[in-house]
Amino acid sequence: MPGRCGLTDLSVKIGKIKFKNPVLVASGTFGYGEEYSEFFDLNKLGGVITKSITLNPREGNPPPRTCETPSGMLNAIGLANVGVSEFIKEKLSFLKKLDTRLIINVAGSTLEEYVKVVKRLNRIKGIDMLEINISCPNVKQGGMHFGATEESAHQIIKTIRENTSYPLMVKLSPNVTDITQIALAVQEAGCDAISLINTLIGMAIDSETRKPLLANITGGLSGPAIKPVALAMVWKVAQKVNIPIVGIGGIMNTKDVLEFLLAGASMIQVGTANFVDPKVTVKIIDELKDYCENHKIKSIKEIIGKLETQSIS
Amino acid sequence: MIIQQKIPIISCERVSPIFSRLRFFSPRIARESNPGNFVHIRINDNNYPLLRRAFSIHKTGREKGTFDVLFKVVGSGTKLLSFKKPGQELDVLGPLGNAFSLPKKVSQDIILVVGGMGIAPLFFLASELCRNNKTDSIKINLLYGVKNKDEFLCLKELKDLGIEVIFATEDGTQGFEGTATQLFLKQTKKYQNFKKVKVFSCGPPAMLKVMSEYAREYNLNCEISLENHMPCGVGACMGCVVKHGKKNKFEYKRVCKEGPIFNAREVWLD
Repeated sequence: MPGRCGLTDLSVKIGKIKFKNPVLVASGTFGYGEEYSEFFDLNKLGGVITKSITLNPREGNPPPRTCETPSGMLNAIGLANVGVSEFIKEKLSFLKKLDTRLIINVAGSTLEEYVKVVKRLNRIKGIDMLEINISCPNVKQGGMHFGATEESAHQIIKTIRENTSYPLMVKLSPNVTDITQIALAVQEAGCDAISLINTLIGMAIDSETRKPLLANITGGLSGPAIKPVALAMVWKVAQKVNIPIVGIGGIMNTKDVLEFLLAGASMIQVGTANFVDPKVTVKIIDELKDYCENHKIKSIKEIIGKLETQSIS
Repeated sequence: MIIQQKIPIISCERVSPIFSRLRFFSPRIARESNPGNFVHIRINDNNYPLLRRAFSIHKTGREKGTFDVLFKVVGSGTKLLSFKKPGQELDVLGPLGNAFSLPKKVSQDIILVVGGMGIAPLFFLASELCRNNKTDSIKINLLYGVKNKDEFLCLKELKDLGIEVIFATEDGTQGFEGTATQLFLKQTKKYQNFKKVKVFSCGPPAMLKVMSEYAREYNLNCEISLENHMPCGVGACMGCVVKHGKKNKFEYKRVCKEGPIFNAREVWLD
């Protein structure tokens, strides 16, 4: 029986935090975890990342909020969430009981909002890390403006860093001129990891009705359609930074995960694929074990950044 | 508990050039399905189409462990689905969503208002209502509207149920000339008191908007089945929401989780 015998080490680390495997679920595709616990044991995951949490509850954008595009989908949910107080009161207890890493995704419209949310989360037992969303494309003041320039990205992460001792992962937008410069800026500001990419701004139109398919007109493109863009950005950022990278963008299967690891990601997030197959993450984790076993790889860490660019012919 | 299974298609029927019916074998889904529930079907293993498609459960054969979906070929997903063959297996999630509230010992009359493909879930409802109504103590009326008479489906099955069906066509090719909602208004004039009537409705979005407006205007006891693009189908993505509550004080509810069945007075459709 290949794999599954526990010899292969899938664990990875970000700073001092050890994850049992490199597979996380991307913010906004996994709710607050409860929905998918009906399908599989969430403790098998490397970690869970919550929906973006904001200071106040947000209803989100008017419908229609999603549509399918070739090998992808557009969404403009608009950071719909229960707000940090309700999150702590109602949603956190379920997540805290899990035997996996818990990462809270934080978003806001102003620097003060981010800081207030982070301060509310400080000193809560069971939270392992924060993911700072400076890349939501679907809300006018949804944080993407913070991620748009080196100066603003640096300033917000530096301020958050001063207000919390949680390890910080910063989620970057691909909708910028040079993502490596933003990555360097947030590294310099003291974050512990960088996750990329958030969705690409996209649009779909019904030529019969002459209307956009999303009420928000534009949305964020995700799914396999964006994987080549994400891989290139992960690879470029990996050449520049020395903190761990978490790869996101169109991951559907184990092969996709391996590609991101080779490009330089230490961990990955599965997003849209959760909708297609609720159990895709556990399949990937099992298959990663098989892959390592079959290739005589003792630790998954051995392949991180091992892209061979020398002899392409 | 939501079931995720690879289940075989046991029959495919082209009901007409644009309508198809698939029968699946899954004793578990068949057993646990109630009228109003839906299944979320992965049409292909590749990325085209990427997302699952939601279909109302149209019929169950509990003794044989089967359930049917009935659909109109409208886009690439339904087109591919209509070409599936018996023996092929598809990855299906279900049953999902809430169900119509079936009156158990009610003396109310029941009116089913159906537009087009709305027959898919309401046929399941009609058959369950008839099963619970062996003594014929309640009167069940089905008002069934389509654009042209060629679009009427399940005519033989409806006849076998023995319920009274009143037809409407927008082009006047059969029955009442007009829409199902216009027919509903005409028919219900005979009811002195709407409190004695329970209404169930499903159809295209424009029709359900009218039904929800009627429900508020006449204070109807009316349940409607909504449809929407549902990326996840299980309540995680917040993609399929509908305005719910009061006109100026609403919240967004997920059609896949809190629905697809809603009190018609409480939803606000655009």
